[in-house]
Amino acid sequence: MTRQKRLLIAIAIAALAVLLAALLLLRKKPVGFEPELLNREIDKGGGIAEFIKVKLFFLSETSQYLRPVFREIEVPEIREELYRKFISLLLAGDSGHITPVPGGVQLRSLHYLGARQMLLLDFNEPLAAAFPGGTSAELEFIYFMVDNICYNFREIKKVKFLIGGNESKTLAGHIDLEKPFFPDFAWLKDE
Amino acid sequence: MKNSIKAGIASVALLVAPLLLPSLGIGFRAFDHEGYTRVVIEGDRSFAYKVQDLPDRLEVRLGGRADFRTPALSVPSSQLLERVTCEVQGEESVLTVHYKGTAAVRKNFVLEKPFRLVFDLVKSARAPAAAPADDEKKPGPAPAEPPPAARPKPIETICIDPGHGGEDLGAVGRSKLQEKNITLKIGIKLKKLIESRTGLRVIMTRDKDSEVSLNTRASIANNQRAQMFVSIHVNSSFRKSAYGSETFFVSLQATDPEALELAQKENQNQEDPGEAIQNDELKMILWNMAQTEHIRESSKLAEYIQNELNELLGTRNRGVKQAPFRVLMRTAMPAVLIEAAFISNASEEKKLQNDEFLERIALAIYNGISKFIYYYNSIVK
Repeated sequence: MTRQKRLLIAIAIAALAVLLAALLLLRKKPVGFEPELLNREIDKGGGIAEFIKVKLFFLSETSQYLRPVFREIEVPEIREELYRKFISLLLAGDSGHITPVPGGVQLRSLHYLGARQMLLLDFNEPLAAAFPGGTSAELEFIYFMVDNICYNFREIKKVKFLIGGNESKTLAGHIDLEKPFFPDFAWLKDE
Repeated sequence: MKNSIKAGIASVALLVAPLLLPSLGIGFRAFDHEGYTRVVIEGDRSFAYKVQDLPDRLEVRLGGRADFRTPALSVPSSQLLERVTCEVQGEESVLTVHYKGTAAVRKNFVLEKPFRLVFDLVKSARAPAAAPADDEKKPGPAPAEPPPAARPKPIETICIDPGHGGEDLGAVGRSKLQEKNITLKIGIKLKKLIESRTGLRVIMTRDKDSEVSLNTRASIANNQRAQMFVSIHVNSSFRKSAYGSETFFVSLQATDPEALELAQKENQNQEDPGEAIQNDELKMILWNMAQTEHIRESSKLAEYIQNELNELLGTRNRGVKQAPFRVLMRTAMPAVLIEAAFISNASEEKKLQNDEFLERIALAIYNGISKFIYYYNSIVK
Protein backbone atom coordinates (compact mmCIF):
# COMPACT_ATOMS: atom_id res chain seq x y z
CA MET A 1 0.00 0.00 0.00
CA THR A 2 1.38 3.39 -0.95
CA ARG A 3 2.00 6.09 1.62
CA GLN A 4 -0.74 8.21 0.02
CA LYS A 5 -3.32 5.42 0.39
CA ARG A 6 -2.32 4.87 4.02
CA LEU A 7 -2.75 8.56 4.69
CA LEU A 8 -6.20 8.60 3.05
CA ILE A 9 -7.33 5.64 5.16
CA ALA A 10 -6.01 7.32 8.29
CA ILE A 11 -7.87 10.53 7.44
CA ALA A 12 -11.10 8.59 6.82
CA ILE A 13 -10.82 6.75 10.15
CA ALA A 14 -10.02 9.96 11.99
CA ALA A 15 -13.00 11.75 10.42
CA LEU A 16 -15.25 8.89 11.50
CA ALA A 17 -13.86 9.03 15.01
CA VAL A 18 -14.42 12.80 15.21
CA LEU A 19 -17.99 12.35 13.99
CA LEU A 20 -18.72 9.68 16.59
CA ALA A 21 -17.14 11.76 19.35
CA ALA A 22 -19.23 14.79 18.32
CA LEU A 23 -22.40 12.67 18.43
CA LEU A 24 -21.53 11.43 21.92
CA LEU A 25 -20.80 14.96 23.13
CA LEU A 26 -24.06 16.30 21.70
CA ARG A 27 -25.99 13.64 23.62
CA LYS A 28 -24.54 14.83 26.92
CA LYS A 29 -27.13 16.87 28.82
CA PRO A 30 -26.02 20.23 30.22
CA VAL A 31 -25.68 20.18 34.00
CA GLY A 32 -27.90 22.65 35.80
CA PHE A 33 -31.51 23.58 36.16
CA GLU A 34 -33.59 26.36 34.72
CA PRO A 35 -36.00 27.31 37.51
CA GLU A 36 -39.52 27.34 36.12
CA LEU A 37 -41.31 30.71 36.36
CA LEU A 38 -44.85 30.42 37.73
CA ASN A 39 -47.67 32.90 38.34
CA ARG A 40 -49.53 32.30 41.56
CA GLU A 41 -52.61 33.99 43.00
CA ILE A 42 -51.51 35.36 46.35
CA ASP A 43 -54.75 36.95 47.68
CA LYS A 44 -58.49 36.75 47.23
CA GLY A 45 -58.47 40.08 45.42
CA GLY A 46 -56.87 38.42 42.45
CA GLY A 47 -53.30 39.61 43.16
CA ILE A 48 -50.70 37.66 41.21
CA ALA A 49 -47.08 37.15 42.13
CA GLU A 50 -44.23 35.47 40.34
CA PHE A 51 -42.81 32.31 41.80
CA ILE A 52 -40.02 30.09 40.64
CA LYS A 53 -39.81 26.37 41.07
CA VAL A 54 -36.39 25.34 42.35
CA LYS A 55 -34.87 21.92 42.81
CA LEU A 56 -33.14 21.32 46.13
CA PHE A 57 -30.91 18.34 46.85
CA PHE A 58 -30.66 16.83 50.32
CA LEU A 59 -28.60 14.09 51.89
CA SER A 60 -30.20 10.83 53.00
CA GLU A 61 -29.21 7.96 55.26
CA THR A 62 -29.66 5.46 52.45
CA SER A 63 -27.55 7.15 49.79
CA GLN A 64 -24.21 8.89 49.57
CA TYR A 65 -25.72 11.25 46.97
CA LEU A 66 -27.84 14.35 47.38
CA ARG A 67 -31.46 13.67 46.30
CA PRO A 68 -33.88 16.20 44.73
CA VAL A 69 -36.92 17.88 46.26
CA PHE A 70 -38.96 20.67 44.57
CA ARG A 71 -39.89 23.96 46.24
CA GLU A 72 -41.39 27.27 45.13
CA ILE A 73 -40.04 30.71 45.99
CA GLU A 74 -41.80 34.01 45.47
CA VAL A 75 -39.56 36.11 43.25
CA PRO A 76 -38.46 39.31 44.98
CA GLU A 77 -37.35 42.44 43.13
CA ILE A 78 -33.75 42.12 44.23
CA ARG A 79 -31.88 39.09 42.92
CA GLU A 80 -29.78 38.73 46.08
CA GLU A 81 -33.00 38.47 48.06
CA LEU A 82 -33.92 35.46 45.93
CA TYR A 83 -30.60 33.81 46.80
CA ARG A 84 -31.25 34.53 50.47
CA LYS A 85 -34.70 32.89 50.30
CA PHE A 86 -33.18 29.90 48.51
CA ILE A 87 -30.55 29.44 51.23
CA SER A 88 -33.22 29.74 53.91
CA LEU A 89 -34.98 26.80 52.25
CA LEU A 90 -31.75 24.80 52.32
CA LEU A 91 -31.20 25.56 56.01
CA ALA A 92 -34.83 24.70 56.81
CA GLY A 93 -34.24 21.19 55.45
CA ASP A 94 -36.76 18.57 54.37
CA SER A 95 -38.44 15.90 56.46
CA GLY A 96 -37.11 12.48 55.61
CA HIS A 97 -33.79 13.89 54.48
CA ILE A 98 -30.60 14.98 56.21
CA THR A 99 -29.54 18.62 56.13
CA PRO A 100 -25.76 18.59 56.55
CA VAL A 101 -25.66 21.82 58.55
CA PRO A 102 -25.06 22.08 62.31
CA GLY A 103 -27.97 23.25 64.46
CA GLY A 104 -28.22 26.98 65.08
CA VAL A 105 -26.53 27.98 61.83
CA GLN A 106 -27.95 31.07 60.14
CA LEU A 107 -26.99 33.15 57.17
CA ARG A 108 -25.75 36.58 58.30
CA SER A 109 -25.43 38.13 54.85
CA LEU A 110 -24.62 37.39 51.25
CA HIS A 111 -23.14 39.28 48.31
CA TYR A 112 -23.06 38.39 44.66
CA LEU A 113 -19.88 39.53 42.93
CA GLY A 114 -21.08 39.65 39.33
CA ALA A 115 -17.67 40.24 37.75
CA ARG A 116 -16.33 37.07 39.33
CA GLN A 117 -19.65 35.18 39.16
CA MET A 118 -19.10 34.38 42.81
CA LEU A 119 -21.54 34.27 45.71
CA LEU A 120 -20.13 35.20 49.12
CA LEU A 121 -21.99 33.58 51.99
CA ASP A 122 -21.43 34.78 55.53
CA PHE A 123 -22.72 32.39 58.20
CA ASN A 124 -22.86 32.92 61.95
CA GLU A 125 -20.31 31.46 64.39
CA PRO A 126 -22.09 28.14 65.14
CA LEU A 127 -21.08 26.93 61.67
CA ALA A 128 -17.55 26.42 62.99
CA ALA A 129 -18.23 26.20 66.72
CA ALA A 130 -20.90 23.50 66.43
CA PHE A 131 -19.44 21.66 63.46
CA PRO A 132 -19.29 17.94 64.27
CA GLY A 133 -15.85 17.41 62.65
CA GLY A 134 -14.73 14.91 60.04
CA THR A 135 -13.66 15.32 56.44
CA SER A 136 -16.87 13.77 55.12
CA ALA A 137 -19.05 16.14 57.16
CA GLU A 138 -17.08 19.13 55.86
CA LEU A 139 -17.42 17.99 52.25
CA GLU A 140 -21.12 17.22 52.75
CA PHE A 141 -21.80 20.76 54.00
CA ILE A 142 -19.67 22.46 51.34
CA TYR A 143 -21.10 20.61 48.34
CA PHE A 144 -24.66 20.67 49.73
CA MET A 145 -24.44 24.47 49.58
CA VAL A 146 -22.31 24.94 46.47
CA ASP A 147 -24.03 22.33 44.27
CA ASN A 148 -27.54 23.44 45.20
CA ILE A 149 -26.76 27.10 44.52
CA CYS A 150 -24.83 26.60 41.27
CA TYR A 151 -27.34 24.03 39.99
CA ASN A 152 -30.31 26.38 40.37
CA PHE A 153 -28.64 29.69 39.51
CA ARG A 154 -26.40 29.30 36.50
CA GLU A 155 -25.02 32.83 36.81
CA ILE A 156 -23.23 31.69 39.99
CA LYS A 157 -20.09 29.74 39.16
CA LYS A 158 -18.46 29.57 42.58
CA VAL A 159 -19.20 30.10 46.24
CA LYS A 160 -16.99 31.42 49.01
CA PHE A 161 -17.77 30.94 52.68
CA LEU A 162 -17.21 33.42 55.50
CA ILE A 163 -17.90 32.78 59.18
CA GLY A 164 -18.85 35.65 61.46
CA GLY A 165 -17.86 38.12 58.75
CA ASN A 166 -14.34 36.79 58.45
CA GLU A 167 -12.42 34.34 56.30
CA SER A 168 -11.94 31.04 58.07
CA LYS A 169 -9.10 28.60 57.40
CA THR A 170 -11.27 25.47 57.68
CA LEU A 171 -14.60 24.35 59.13
CA ALA A 172 -13.11 21.69 61.40
CA GLY A 173 -9.46 21.28 60.48
CA HIS A 174 -9.54 19.73 57.01
CA ILE A 175 -10.77 21.46 53.86
CA ASP A 176 -9.27 24.82 52.91
CA LEU A 177 -12.08 27.35 53.25
CA GLU A 178 -10.13 30.41 52.16
CA LYS A 179 -10.63 29.70 48.48
CA PRO A 180 -13.95 29.71 46.66
CA PHE A 181 -15.54 26.39 45.72
CA PHE A 182 -16.72 25.35 42.30
CA PRO A 183 -19.63 22.88 42.12
CA ASP A 184 -18.98 19.16 41.95
CA PHE A 185 -22.21 17.78 40.50
CA ALA A 186 -20.98 14.22 41.04
CA TRP A 187 -22.60 14.63 44.46
CA LEU A 188 -26.06 14.96 42.92
CA LYS A 189 -28.34 12.08 42.00
CA ASP A 190 -31.09 13.51 39.85
CA GLU A 191 -33.89 10.94 40.09
CA MET B 1 -21.50 -0.03 25.42
CA LYS B 2 -20.81 3.71 25.64
CA ASN B 3 -17.48 3.02 27.25
CA SER B 4 -16.45 0.59 24.57
CA ILE B 5 -17.35 3.13 21.85
CA LYS B 6 -15.30 5.77 23.67
CA ALA B 7 -12.40 3.32 24.08
CA GLY B 8 -12.59 2.46 20.39
CA ILE B 9 -12.50 6.10 19.37
CA ALA B 10 -9.60 6.77 21.71
CA SER B 11 -7.64 3.84 20.25
CA VAL B 12 -8.30 4.95 16.68
CA ALA B 13 -7.33 8.52 17.54
CA LEU B 14 -4.10 7.31 19.15
CA LEU B 15 -3.25 5.23 16.10
CA VAL B 16 -3.87 7.91 13.51
CA ALA B 17 -2.78 10.96 15.50
CA PRO B 18 0.94 10.62 14.73
CA LEU B 19 0.13 10.43 11.03
CA LEU B 20 -1.99 13.55 11.08
CA LEU B 21 -0.37 15.87 13.59
CA PRO B 22 2.19 18.37 12.36
CA SER B 23 5.66 18.01 13.88
CA LEU B 24 6.05 19.28 17.42
CA GLY B 25 7.31 22.88 17.57
CA ILE B 26 9.85 23.38 20.35
CA GLY B 27 11.41 26.59 21.63
CA PHE B 28 13.68 27.05 24.62
CA ARG B 29 15.17 29.79 26.75
CA ALA B 30 17.38 30.10 29.83
CA PHE B 31 17.65 32.70 32.59
CA ASP B 32 19.96 33.15 35.55
CA HIS B 33 18.33 33.78 38.91
CA GLU B 34 19.89 34.22 42.32
CA GLY B 35 21.20 30.78 43.25
CA TYR B 36 19.82 28.90 40.26
CA THR B 37 19.38 28.91 36.50
CA ARG B 38 16.03 28.23 34.90
CA VAL B 39 15.72 26.47 31.56
CA VAL B 40 12.30 26.50 29.91
CA ILE B 41 11.41 24.18 27.03
CA GLU B 42 8.18 25.27 25.38
CA GLY B 43 6.10 23.14 23.03
CA ASP B 44 3.27 24.24 20.78
CA ARG B 45 1.40 21.32 22.38
CA SER B 46 2.06 18.90 25.22
CA PHE B 47 4.71 16.27 24.64
CA ALA B 48 6.13 13.12 26.22
CA TYR B 49 9.73 13.34 27.40
CA LYS B 50 12.51 11.49 29.20
CA VAL B 51 15.11 13.27 31.28
CA GLN B 52 18.69 12.21 31.93
CA ASP B 53 20.30 14.28 34.65
CA LEU B 54 24.07 13.90 34.15
CA PRO B 55 26.80 15.76 36.05
CA ASP B 56 28.01 17.71 33.00
CA ARG B 57 24.76 18.01 31.07
CA LEU B 58 21.02 17.55 31.09
CA GLU B 59 19.49 15.55 28.27
CA VAL B 60 15.81 15.84 27.46
CA ARG B 61 14.60 13.28 24.93
CA LEU B 62 11.32 13.99 23.15
CA GLY B 63 9.40 11.29 21.30
CA GLY B 64 9.12 12.05 17.56
CA ARG B 65 10.83 14.52 15.28
CA ALA B 66 10.63 18.00 16.77
CA ASP B 67 10.82 21.24 14.87
CA PHE B 68 13.29 23.26 16.96
CA ARG B 69 12.30 26.90 16.64
CA THR B 70 15.24 28.17 18.67
CA PRO B 71 18.65 27.47 17.16
CA ALA B 72 21.40 26.18 19.43
CA LEU B 73 21.81 28.68 22.24
CA SER B 74 25.15 29.91 23.52
CA VAL B 75 24.93 31.49 26.97
CA PRO B 76 28.42 32.80 27.87
CA SER B 77 27.05 35.18 30.50
CA SER B 78 25.27 32.40 32.39
CA GLN B 79 26.62 31.39 35.79
CA LEU B 80 25.92 27.75 35.05
CA LEU B 81 25.24 27.07 31.40
CA GLU B 82 27.61 26.87 28.51
CA ARG B 83 25.22 26.19 25.67
CA VAL B 84 22.02 24.42 24.74
CA THR B 85 21.99 22.21 21.66
CA CYS B 86 19.25 20.36 19.88
CA GLU B 87 19.27 17.59 17.33
CA VAL B 88 17.01 14.97 15.80
CA GLN B 89 18.33 11.43 16.28
CA GLY B 90 16.26 9.01 14.21
CA GLU B 91 12.73 9.06 15.58
CA GLU B 92 13.78 10.96 18.68
CA SER B 93 14.67 14.58 19.32
CA VAL B 94 17.28 15.42 21.92
CA LEU B 95 17.79 18.72 23.63
CA THR B 96 21.02 18.94 25.62
CA VAL B 97 21.87 21.57 28.22
CA HIS B 98 25.67 21.69 28.64
CA TYR B 99 26.94 22.98 31.99
CA LYS B 100 30.06 25.07 32.61
CA GLY B 101 31.09 22.82 35.49
CA THR B 102 28.86 20.29 37.15
CA ALA B 103 25.24 20.93 37.97
CA ALA B 104 22.06 19.16 38.97
CA VAL B 105 18.33 19.58 38.59
CA ARG B 106 16.97 21.05 41.80
CA LYS B 107 13.40 21.22 40.62
CA ASN B 108 11.53 20.18 37.50
CA PHE B 109 7.90 20.89 36.78
CA VAL B 110 5.38 21.38 34.00
CA LEU B 111 3.29 24.46 33.25
CA GLU B 112 0.29 24.55 30.92
CA LYS B 113 -1.01 27.03 28.36
CA PRO B 114 1.42 26.95 26.67
CA PHE B 115 2.90 23.61 27.62
CA ARG B 116 6.30 24.24 29.23
CA LEU B 117 8.82 21.96 30.81
CA VAL B 118 10.82 23.88 33.41
CA PHE B 119 14.15 22.91 35.00
CA ASP B 120 15.78 24.81 37.83
CA LEU B 121 19.47 23.97 37.86
CA VAL B 122 21.97 24.52 40.65
CA LYS B 123 25.72 24.08 40.94
CA SER B 124 26.71 20.68 42.18
CA ALA B 125 29.89 19.02 43.38
CA ARG B 126 29.16 15.78 41.52
CA ALA B 127 32.10 14.20 39.76
CA PRO B 128 31.87 14.50 35.95
CA ALA B 129 30.56 11.30 34.38
CA ALA B 130 33.55 10.89 32.06
CA ALA B 131 36.16 11.43 34.77
CA PRO B 132 38.82 8.71 35.03
CA ALA B 133 38.42 6.15 37.79
CA ASP B 134 41.41 7.52 39.71
CA ASP B 135 39.92 10.95 39.77
CA GLU B 136 36.66 9.59 41.05
CA LYS B 137 38.38 8.34 44.18
CA LYS B 138 39.75 11.79 45.01
CA PRO B 139 37.56 14.04 47.10
CA GLY B 140 35.56 16.36 44.87
CA PRO B 141 35.92 20.13 44.92
CA ALA B 142 34.18 21.92 47.75
CA PRO B 143 30.67 22.92 46.69
CA ALA B 144 30.28 26.59 45.91
CA GLU B 145 26.78 26.45 47.37
CA PRO B 146 24.93 24.08 49.66
CA PRO B 147 24.07 20.83 47.86
CA PRO B 148 20.72 20.89 46.13
CA ALA B 149 18.21 19.98 48.82
CA ALA B 150 15.18 19.32 46.67
CA ARG B 151 16.86 16.92 44.27
CA PRO B 152 14.91 13.66 44.53
CA LYS B 153 16.79 11.02 46.48
CA PRO B 154 15.81 7.74 48.10
CA ILE B 155 13.47 8.19 51.03
CA GLU B 156 15.20 8.76 54.35
CA THR B 157 12.69 10.80 56.35
CA ILE B 158 8.96 10.33 56.81
CA CYS B 159 6.64 12.75 58.59
CA ILE B 160 3.63 11.34 60.44
CA ASP B 161 0.88 13.79 61.28
CA PRO B 162 -1.64 12.63 63.89
CA GLY B 163 -4.66 14.85 63.21
CA HIS B 164 -6.08 17.38 65.69
CA GLY B 165 -4.87 17.54 69.35
CA GLY B 166 -5.12 19.72 72.47
CA GLU B 167 -8.24 21.90 72.45
CA ASP B 168 -9.04 20.62 68.97
CA LEU B 169 -10.71 17.30 69.76
CA GLY B 170 -11.51 16.45 66.15
CA ALA B 171 -14.68 14.43 65.68
CA VAL B 172 -16.26 12.89 68.77
CA GLY B 173 -18.21 9.62 68.84
CA ARG B 174 -21.40 8.82 70.71
CA SER B 175 -19.37 7.22 73.49
CA LYS B 176 -17.29 10.43 73.71
CA LEU B 177 -14.36 8.76 71.99
CA GLN B 178 -12.18 11.57 70.62
CA GLU B 179 -10.52 11.59 67.22
CA LYS B 180 -7.37 13.34 68.54
CA ASN B 181 -6.58 10.40 70.85
CA ILE B 182 -7.14 7.75 68.17
CA THR B 183 -4.93 9.52 65.63
CA LEU B 184 -2.11 9.89 68.16
CA LYS B 185 -2.27 6.19 69.10
CA ILE B 186 -2.16 5.11 65.45
CA GLY B 187 0.63 7.60 64.72
CA ILE B 188 2.84 6.31 67.54
CA LYS B 189 2.26 2.69 66.48
CA LEU B 190 3.11 3.57 62.89
CA LYS B 191 6.29 5.39 63.92
CA LYS B 192 7.46 2.32 65.87
CA LEU B 193 6.73 0.04 62.93
CA ILE B 194 8.63 2.18 60.42
CA GLU B 195 11.63 2.72 62.70
CA SER B 196 11.93 -0.90 63.78
CA ARG B 197 11.44 -2.42 60.32
CA THR B 198 13.20 0.06 58.04
CA GLY B 199 15.52 2.17 60.18
CA LEU B 200 14.24 5.29 58.39
CA ARG B 201 13.98 8.57 60.25
CA VAL B 202 10.44 9.35 61.39
CA ILE B 203 9.33 12.74 62.62
CA MET B 204 5.95 13.47 64.19
CA THR B 205 4.06 16.75 64.00
CA ARG B 206 2.93 15.96 67.54
CA ASP B 207 3.76 13.11 69.91
CA LYS B 208 1.51 14.19 72.76
CA ASP B 209 -1.88 15.76 73.26
CA SER B 210 -0.93 19.21 72.01
CA GLU B 211 -2.53 21.63 69.58
CA VAL B 212 -0.51 22.24 66.42
CA SER B 213 -1.79 24.51 63.65
CA LEU B 214 -2.14 23.13 60.13
CA ASN B 215 0.50 25.52 58.80
CA THR B 216 2.95 24.45 61.52
CA ARG B 217 2.37 20.79 60.69
CA ALA B 218 3.30 21.41 57.07
CA SER B 219 6.25 23.58 58.12
CA ILE B 220 7.61 20.84 60.38
CA ALA B 221 7.59 18.40 57.46
CA ASN B 222 9.10 20.94 55.03
CA ASN B 223 11.79 22.18 57.43
CA GLN B 224 12.82 18.65 58.40
CA ARG B 225 13.05 17.83 54.68
CA ALA B 226 10.66 14.92 55.02
CA GLN B 227 10.10 13.07 51.75
CA MET B 228 6.66 11.78 52.63
CA PHE B 229 3.82 13.24 54.68
CA VAL B 230 1.15 10.96 56.13
CA SER B 231 -1.72 12.64 57.97
CA ILE B 232 -3.87 10.31 60.08
CA HIS B 233 -7.52 11.01 60.82
CA VAL B 234 -10.78 9.27 61.61
CA ASN B 235 -13.86 10.37 59.79
CA SER B 236 -17.30 11.69 60.69
CA SER B 237 -20.38 12.25 58.58
CA PHE B 238 -23.87 13.75 58.94
CA ARG B 239 -24.99 10.30 57.74
CA LYS B 240 -24.66 7.99 60.72
CA SER B 241 -24.70 4.98 58.39
CA ALA B 242 -21.53 6.10 56.58
CA TYR B 243 -18.62 3.71 57.18
CA GLY B 244 -15.32 2.53 55.73
CA SER B 245 -11.87 3.90 55.03
CA GLU B 246 -10.65 6.32 52.42
CA THR B 247 -7.37 7.97 51.51
CA PHE B 248 -7.12 11.46 50.09
CA PHE B 249 -4.53 13.42 48.20
CA VAL B 250 -4.85 17.05 47.40
CA SER B 251 -7.25 18.25 44.76
CA LEU B 252 -6.20 21.02 42.44
CA GLN B 253 -9.50 21.03 40.55
CA ALA B 254 -11.01 22.77 43.50
CA THR B 255 -8.59 25.65 43.06
CA ASP B 256 -9.96 28.74 41.39
CA PRO B 257 -8.85 28.45 37.74
CA GLU B 258 -8.53 32.24 37.48
CA ALA B 259 -6.19 32.27 40.44
CA LEU B 260 -4.26 29.33 39.07
CA GLU B 261 -3.87 31.03 35.72
CA LEU B 262 -2.67 34.16 37.49
CA ALA B 263 -0.16 32.13 39.45
CA GLN B 264 1.10 30.48 36.28
CA LYS B 265 1.49 33.85 34.56
CA GLU B 266 3.41 35.04 37.56
CA ASN B 267 5.51 31.93 37.39
CA GLN B 268 6.36 32.86 33.81
CA ASN B 269 7.25 36.36 34.92
CA GLN B 270 9.68 34.93 37.41
CA GLU B 271 11.87 34.31 34.41
CA ASP B 272 12.42 38.05 34.62
CA PRO B 273 14.20 38.44 37.96
CA GLY B 274 13.19 42.09 38.12
CA GLU B 275 9.55 41.26 38.71
CA ALA B 276 8.62 40.49 42.29
CA ILE B 277 5.41 39.02 43.54
CA GLN B 278 3.61 41.73 45.45
CA ASN B 279 0.17 40.30 45.96
CA ASP B 280 -0.37 38.42 49.21
CA GLU B 281 -3.17 36.32 47.75
CA LEU B 282 -0.94 35.29 44.91
CA LYS B 283 1.89 34.41 47.28
CA MET B 284 -0.54 32.15 49.09
CA ILE B 285 -1.57 30.47 45.84
CA LEU B 286 2.05 29.88 44.84
CA TRP B 287 2.77 28.49 48.28
CA ASN B 288 -0.23 26.20 47.97
CA MET B 289 1.19 25.01 44.69
CA ALA B 290 4.08 23.47 46.65
CA GLN B 291 2.17 20.22 46.44
CA THR B 292 1.52 20.52 42.70
CA GLU B 293 4.75 18.96 41.55
CA HIS B 294 4.30 15.98 43.88
CA ILE B 295 0.72 15.22 42.99
CA ARG B 296 1.48 12.13 40.91
CA GLU B 297 3.50 10.56 43.74
CA SER B 298 0.85 11.58 46.27
CA SER B 299 -1.75 9.78 44.20
CA LYS B 300 0.46 6.67 44.06
CA LEU B 301 1.06 6.77 47.82
CA ALA B 302 -2.69 7.10 48.45
CA GLU B 303 -3.37 4.14 46.18
CA TYR B 304 -0.82 1.89 47.94
CA ILE B 305 -2.13 2.77 51.40
CA GLN B 306 -5.80 2.41 50.45
CA ASN B 307 -5.16 -1.03 48.93
CA GLU B 308 -3.58 -2.17 52.20
CA LEU B 309 -6.38 -0.70 54.31
CA ASN B 310 -8.92 -2.61 52.22
CA GLU B 311 -7.03 -5.84 52.66
CA LEU B 312 -6.24 -5.62 56.37
CA LEU B 313 -9.28 -3.90 57.83
CA GLY B 314 -12.08 -5.66 56.03
CA THR B 315 -14.13 -2.46 56.23
CA ARG B 316 -15.86 -0.81 53.30
CA ASN B 317 -13.48 0.53 50.67
CA ARG B 318 -14.43 4.14 49.96
CA GLY B 319 -11.42 4.46 47.72
CA VAL B 320 -8.83 7.09 46.89
CA LYS B 321 -10.27 10.59 46.65
CA GLN B 322 -9.16 14.16 46.14
CA ALA B 323 -10.07 17.25 48.15
CA PRO B 324 -8.44 20.63 48.88
CA PHE B 325 -6.96 19.82 52.28
CA ARG B 326 -5.25 22.80 53.84
CA VAL B 327 -2.50 20.78 55.50
CA LEU B 328 -1.64 18.84 52.32
CA MET B 329 -1.52 21.91 50.07
CA ARG B 330 1.36 23.35 52.04
CA THR B 331 3.59 20.30 52.03
CA ALA B 332 6.36 20.09 49.44
CA MET B 333 6.55 16.29 49.21
CA PRO B 334 4.24 13.35 48.41
CA ALA B 335 1.43 13.79 50.93
CA VAL B 336 -1.77 11.97 51.83
CA LEU B 337 -4.51 12.13 54.43
CA ILE B 338 -6.02 8.88 55.68
CA GLU B 339 -9.52 8.61 57.10
CA ALA B 340 -9.22 5.19 58.72
CA ALA B 341 -12.84 4.64 59.84
CA PHE B 342 -15.97 6.56 60.86
CA ILE B 343 -16.17 7.56 64.50
CA SER B 344 -19.74 8.74 63.74
CA ASN B 345 -20.76 5.15 62.92
CA ALA B 346 -21.63 3.17 66.05
CA SER B 347 -20.07 -0.07 64.83
CA GLU B 348 -16.82 1.52 63.68
CA GLU B 349 -16.57 3.64 66.82
CA LYS B 350 -16.60 0.39 68.78
CA LYS B 351 -13.80 -0.99 66.61
CA LEU B 352 -11.77 2.19 67.13
CA GLN B 353 -11.84 1.54 70.88
CA ASN B 354 -10.02 -1.73 70.28
CA ASP B 355 -6.23 -1.49 70.39
CA GLU B 356 -5.82 -4.46 68.07
CA PHE B 357 -7.88 -2.68 65.39
CA LEU B 358 -5.62 0.36 65.71
CA GLU B 359 -2.58 -1.95 65.34
CA ARG B 360 -4.10 -3.28 62.11
CA ILE B 361 -4.64 0.25 60.80
CA ALA B 362 -1.00 1.15 61.58
CA LEU B 363 0.22 -2.04 59.91
CA ALA B 364 -1.87 -1.39 56.80
CA ILE B 365 -0.51 2.14 56.52
CA TYR B 366 3.02 0.81 57.07
CA ASN B 367 2.58 -1.78 54.30
CA GLY B 368 1.35 0.90 51.92
CA ILE B 369 4.26 3.17 52.82
CA SER B 370 6.75 0.30 52.27
CA LYS B 371 5.40 -0.36 48.79
CA PHE B 372 5.57 3.34 47.98
CA ILE B 373 9.18 3.55 49.20
CA TYR B 374 10.13 0.66 46.91
CA TYR B 375 8.39 2.36 43.96
CA TYR B 376 9.76 5.85 44.74
CA ASN B 377 13.34 4.75 45.32
CA SER B 378 13.35 2.82 42.07
CA ILE B 379 12.37 5.94 40.08
CA VAL B 380 14.80 8.38 41.72
CA LYS B 381 17.85 6.13 41.45
